[in-house]
Order: sequence, then structure tokens, then C-alpha cells
Amino acid sequence: MTMRGFGAFLAYRLARTLVALWLVSSVVFVVMRLSGDPVPLLLPPDAPTSEIFRVRHDLGLDRPLAVQYAVFLQNVLHGDFGRSIHFRQGAMGVALGYLPATLELGAAAFLIAVLCALPIGILSAVRRNSPLDHGAMGFALIGQSAPTFFIGVLLILVFSLRLNLFPTSGRGGLAHLVLPAATLGAFTMASIARITRSAMLEVLRTDFVRTARAKGVAEAAVIVKHTLKNASLPIITITGLQLGTLLGGAIVTETVFAWPGMGRLAVESIYNRDYPVVQAVVFIAAVLFVVINFTLDMLYGVLDPRIREAG
Amino acid sequence: MARTVRTGTGLSRRELLRRAAGAGAAAAGGIFQAGWAAPAAAQTTQKRDLIVAQGGDVSRFDPHMSTSSNDVRVSFNLFDNLLSRHPDGQLFPGLATQWKRTDPTTWEFKLLDGVKWHNGDPFTSDDAKFSLERTYDPAAHTLVATVFTTIDRIEAPTPASLVIHTKKPDPLLPARLAFYGGQIVPKKYLTAAGPDQFNAKPVGTGPMRFVSWVKDDKAVFEAYPQYWAGRIDVDRVVFRPIPETAARVAAVLRGEVDLITQLSPDQWDRVNQNPSTMGKGVLYAGLYVLGVNSKVKPLDNPLVKQAMSLAIDRQSIVKDLWRGRGLVPNGLIAKGDNHYDPSLPPLPYDPARAKAKLKEGNYNNEPVIIETTVGYVANDKAMSEAIAAMWKDVGVNVRVEVIEYSVRAEHNRDRSFKGLWWSDPTSTLGDPDGMMWRLLAPGGPMDYWRNPEWDKLGTDARFSIDEKFRDQAYKRMNQMALQYLPWIPVIQPSEDYGIQKYVAFTPNGNQQLDIRRFNFHMRRG
Repeated sequence: MTMRGFGAFLAYRLARTLVALWLVSSVVFVVMRLSGDPVPLLLPPDAPTSEIFRVRHDLGLDRPLAVQYAVFLQNVLHGDFGRSIHFRQGAMGVALGYLPATLELGAAAFLIAVLCALPIGILSAVRRNSPLDHGAMGFALIGQSAPTFFIGVLLILVFSLRLNLFPTSGRGGLAHLVLPAATLGAFTMASIARITRSAMLEVLRTDFVRTARAKGVAEAAVIVKHTLKNASLPIITITGLQLGTLLGGAIVTETVFAWPGMGRLAVESIYNRDYPVVQAVVFIAAVLFVVINFTLDMLYGVLDPRIREAG
Repeated sequence: MARTVRTGTGLSRRELLRRAAGAGAAAAGGIFQAGWAAPAAAQTTQKRDLIVAQGGDVSRFDPHMSTSSNDVRVSFNLFDNLLSRHPDGQLFPGLATQWKRTDPTTWEFKLLDGVKWHNGDPFTSDDAKFSLERTYDPAAHTLVATVFTTIDRIEAPTPASLVIHTKKPDPLLPARLAFYGGQIVPKKYLTAAGPDQFNAKPVGTGPMRFVSWVKDDKAVFEAYPQYWAGRIDVDRVVFRPIPETAARVAAVLRGEVDLITQLSPDQWDRVNQNPSTMGKGVLYAGLYVLGVNSKVKPLDNPLVKQAMSLAIDRQSIVKDLWRGRGLVPNGLIAKGDNHYDPSLPPLPYDPARAKAKLKEGNYNNEPVIIETTVGYVANDKAMSEAIAAMWKDVGVNVRVEVIEYSVRAEHNRDRSFKGLWWSDPTSTLGDPDGMMWRLLAPGGPMDYWRNPEWDKLGTDARFSIDEKFRDQAYKRMNQMALQYLPWIPVIQPSEDYGIQKYVAFTPNGNQQLDIRRFNFHMRRG
């Protein structure tokens, strides 16, 4: 790719990103407003009607939807996501306050998932149809199909209460991170392990692997250099997508483990009809997704010359 | 407690999660039975921290800006009221040492001398006057604006005395001063700092002093050494939100927290069987009722409503859905309140009479709709389903619709419920005036049924200082209410807590959580 080509590619990607963010924000804006009025939730049940109208007016909710939308867009362009109705602070500030906890949990879950899944997937592929393969894939099936809250509660019961190894909930040191990260990472681990296995199997069947073996390349090198490298594209795709999910806030895990993250904030804010906070959270999540996807695209280019040339 | 404004909590909203977690806990139940090795049961402790886990986070510290139970548990310990309602239901001195009615509409209060706010400012009667006036000051936009509507004006003749003039005789003024809205806030600090800053860094006179708050993580407080009623028995108090019941219970079982609120009935035995923990329950100061829109057909027909009430097998609901953690009400006055009549029998279950009443009332198969929330009050959806089945058995054409919290709040505001809905009226004053009259009076939040005699009795009783008359009035009102059923009372549940055995604590049925000396200490070895 020439420098100019790369520049155009970047500009194109950036434009697409902006459109995506605009669409996401708009959809959330409309859906939240259609879903209900925050004012009754803010006021006591015996609040007089005049008070309801005053609060509505103060929040700008008495204006036509189109006007509210225009104001919203204009403010967002200036980086202003409005004030949280519930917290009475800047919505973006509130949401960003929850981001570190979510990133910490997401990153830990991701690490656990990848560090466990890759060896499991590779071993399963190499020792195909062995008891190890069957065991690992059975385990992965459970990880992928068991509901998160079930895994979460089970881990609390076993590792906190029975084995007394980790705290039951809350955010604190490393020990606090283990169970929620394992819970959150379970699904990801299972998907990456399965995709790793099948991608590896695909490549292991190819001629160049047979050739490599035939010319006496060491088995470890065959697996890592020849097979894994060529199997890496689907693995990276799935891994990247999963990373987005992990970082976008893990509602169930955060609730079960009382983890003060963005997922929980999002749910609370939806219940409270706290439009600005919901918008800010979704915006952050969307940015994370977009950044990850963008990075993935770049990685593809690095890993696969065919994509680089076509791009 | 007014849960409609219980924003920022999360505990009971996520029925899906909770049910699922319940299923998880059940599935994993074997692990408990398999006998996990609990740490040796500690009946005493040297801990200097008290960690409380509740179902949702604090949303506000400004006591006049919230009536949600998660906030009230905190604000009642940051601040003092002039009077204090102890768990036995009696009123005790708070910032006021003495109070008396000098004429039917005048109350005089003697206030404590030498009390200091957490920031060192002296507390005076000016603060008290400012606080009470702030609650109904339209410019302050508080959430407790209706608590002191009987007050005409307040005087602060000396720093240690306060005089309150009511518009009409108000026998319950002391009770009003003891509950939410009555927390006394610092005039000087609040005026200088402004409400937002005050909410962010609250200053009170209470037994604990604000230190820090990380939203959805923990709120930290320290013992206020100069607390006028004596420094509390711990150095630090932490309130943590743990929304998921299973996780909250696990936290107390493992000893990570000292006290949990909202212990669910199905976990009661588990907490009691664990050697180091125990359950502590108190009858809720209020009732769980089905509100009735008596303006829609067929609920405008008292006979139909009587039939529906007769068709509810409340014993089974208490036994099966609540594992016995509650009791069957005998009317619209909660047990423990003034004017509760212990001689009345529990509301009867009689499907045969219910059928007869339906016939007598010419019930013509009109649809009856229960709009249930999921977790607004504990067990609401399960109870709705059970009651719907009971009503179908006697021939009521009933349908259950699930609605969301905000929809409930809107219906509540517009008084637009389609039929029946769940409510958990709290008895804020230990008196029917603070419960059925507060909610069912003309213009009240649950005003769907009117009767001139009932209305007159309610008004007269509110403004009467003749206790005999009030007693007669409420007896009659209860009788009439059971005939016309503006509410269908279902259960008076137990408010359950899980605690470490070394915690000596008595819960209050009104969801106050006093960690003051009279109510709380750690058992020291």
C-alpha cells in the first residue's frame, strides 16, 4: 500500500467511524425518549403537577423531540453529553468515572480467556479426538452455554464459600478480580478455544504442513510457525470481537459481583431514565468497539498481505 | 418507604437475574449441604469496622432529597432528628431533650446545648428552624415537601429552644419530626456551600461522619468522636451496595460484611444454620397491598372486591412464597401501629363465600387486570400469579400484565392504573394517619375511591388531639375500608437482616438502621 493509499484508507475508516457513532447516538437518543419519562421517577409520588412540569421544563423535556435532538447533537459536537438527571453532574464525567473498573475487569477477563483458550485450543487440535480434546471441548461447550449469572454464583459458592480462596464480591485488590474476571471470561475463553481448535485443524490438513513435516521441521515449529500463524486470522477476529464485548461493560457479571463498572451504570441509568448517562455510556462503548475494529483491520493488513494489497 | 423514588438501587429490579441466581444457588445448593468448613463461629470480635451491605447504592446524602430506603439507612446516621423513633416504636429525645404542647396548636421544644456539627460549627435552634422550613420551601424542591404541611410557622426564641405553631391541632407532630424530612441539616454550611456541595460532602450531627464515596462501590464514614449521645462502638462504617441477593448472602456467610439488609425468605434458614451468622427480623412497619382503581369496572363494585379479597388464600402465600416470614393482615392498619385492633381476625379465605359474593354483585365476567412490577416489592410477580390463579378458581376473569418501574411511576402519578397494582405503604408515623390516610386521602397518591363519611373521619382524626375520638375514628375507617377495599391487603412481611453473631443490633420495622448506642454495638470478647 502506498502512503497515499494508506491515508485514503484511514480517512475512509474515520468517516465510517463517525457515521457509526452518529447512528448509535441517535438510535439511543430516540429509543430512550420513547421508553418513558424520567420525571415521575425523580419526584415523590405525591409531588404536585406544577412540580412535575417545572422539572420537565428544567430538563428541557417539554420541548419537541426534534428540538431536543438538535440540541443534543449540537452539544455532543462540543463534547457535552449533558447533565445526568440522577447524579446531577456531567453525564460523560459520571460514565468515565466507571470506565477504569470496567476496563480492569474486561482486561483481566480477556487475559484469563486468551491465556487459557489458546493452549487449550492448540492442544485439542493437535491431540484431536483424544480424551483431552473431548474434555476440553466439553468444558468449552459448558462455558459457552451456561448463563453468566449461573457461573458467577457457582464460582462464589465454590471458590469463596467452600474453598475460602477469594472474596465474594466488590472491587479491591487482585483477589477481588479473579472470580468476576473468570466469570466474564468464561464465554470468551470457550469461543476462542473452539475457534482456535477448528482453525488449527483446518491448517493442519493443508499440504504445506505435510511438506514441513516431511522435510523434518520440528513438530513444535510446525505447530507454532506454520500452523498457528496461518490459523491466526479467524482467531484474531473472534478475539477482537470478544474484546469489544468484554470492555463494553458486563452487566450481569458486574451485578453479581457488585463490581462498580459501566455495565451496571448503564442498567441503573436505563431504569432511572437517565438519558444523558445512557448516551454517554453507549458512546464510550461504541468508541471502544470502533477502536478495536480499526486495530483489527490494521492487524489483518499486517498479517495477511492479500488484504493489505486489496485495501 | 416510598420506593417509587428509590432510584439508583438495583436489588429487586432484576428479577431475571435474581431468579436466575436463585436457580444457580439452588443448583449449587448441594455444595452447602456437602458441608463447607466455616471459620470457627465467632461470637465476639475486636473489629473496629462495621460493614453494611444493602441491595442498592446510596443515591443522595442530602436527607431532604430522598426517601429511598437505601438512602434513609445512611442519612439517619449522618443526621439527627429532633426526636428519635427507637425499634420498640416509641419516641425518644433526639436533638430535642423535651417537648410539650402548650396549647392545641403550639409545641415547645427544648434543644440540646453544646452539640457541634461534624465541621465544628455549633448546633442551634436556627438550624432546626431552617431545616424544617427548607422541607416545604418551594424554592428548595425537596422530596419531603409534604411531611410538614401542618406547620404554620416556626420560632427560635433562644439557641436552645424552638416553638412550632401548627395550622390546626396536630397530634402527630412529634412523630413527623422523628421520620424522614425531619433530619436536621446545618444552616450555615448548607447556605454557604450550596445544595450540591452539601450533598457531595454532607455535614450532620449524627454518630457517623462522612469520609468518602465511590459510587456503586462503597460509602465510607468514621465515628464522630464528639457525638452527643456517645461515640459509637466502631471506628469506621462502610456501606456497600451488593445488588444480587445470592452474593449479598455469600458476603455475610463468609464474614466479609457484618450486616446485610433485604435477606430474602429463602435464605433465612441458610444464614441461621451457618455457625457464625444469624437472621434478624422485624415486622415491616406497613403492609404489602394490592392498590385498587375503584373507578374502573368491575372494581367500582364493593361486592366484587370483597369476593376477590375472600378468594385470596393469604395463609398459603405467607407459608409458601414467604416461608412463613410474615403474617396475614387483619385490615388496613399495620400491626404495631397506633389504633391497630388485635381483636380482629386475620382476613379470611373463603372461596365459597367469594363465589356467592360475585353472584350477589352481578359480576359479569368483566376483565380484572393486575399490573405487576417485578421486584418493586419483594415477591410481587409471584404473588400476582398466585392470586390470579386463586381468582380464576372462583370465576374472576383476571389477567396479569407485567409493567416496568417507570411505567408504574407514571401510572402512579397520573392515577391511571388499569386495575390492581402492588404497593408497600410504609407507616411513616406509627399511626394510620401516616399510612392509610396519607395515601388514600383526597388528593393523595392513591386517591381512587371517595366516601364522605370516611373522608370526614380521616380529616377529623388528623386534627384531633382526643385520642379516644381518634381510636373510634380509625376503627370505623378500617371497618369501612374492609367493605369498600381501596386496598386489598395481602401480607405484612418481615424485614429480615443477616448479621454476624458478634453484632448486637435490633432492626426497626420502618427500615431505619440506627447504629447509635441504644441500638447497636459489637460484642467484645
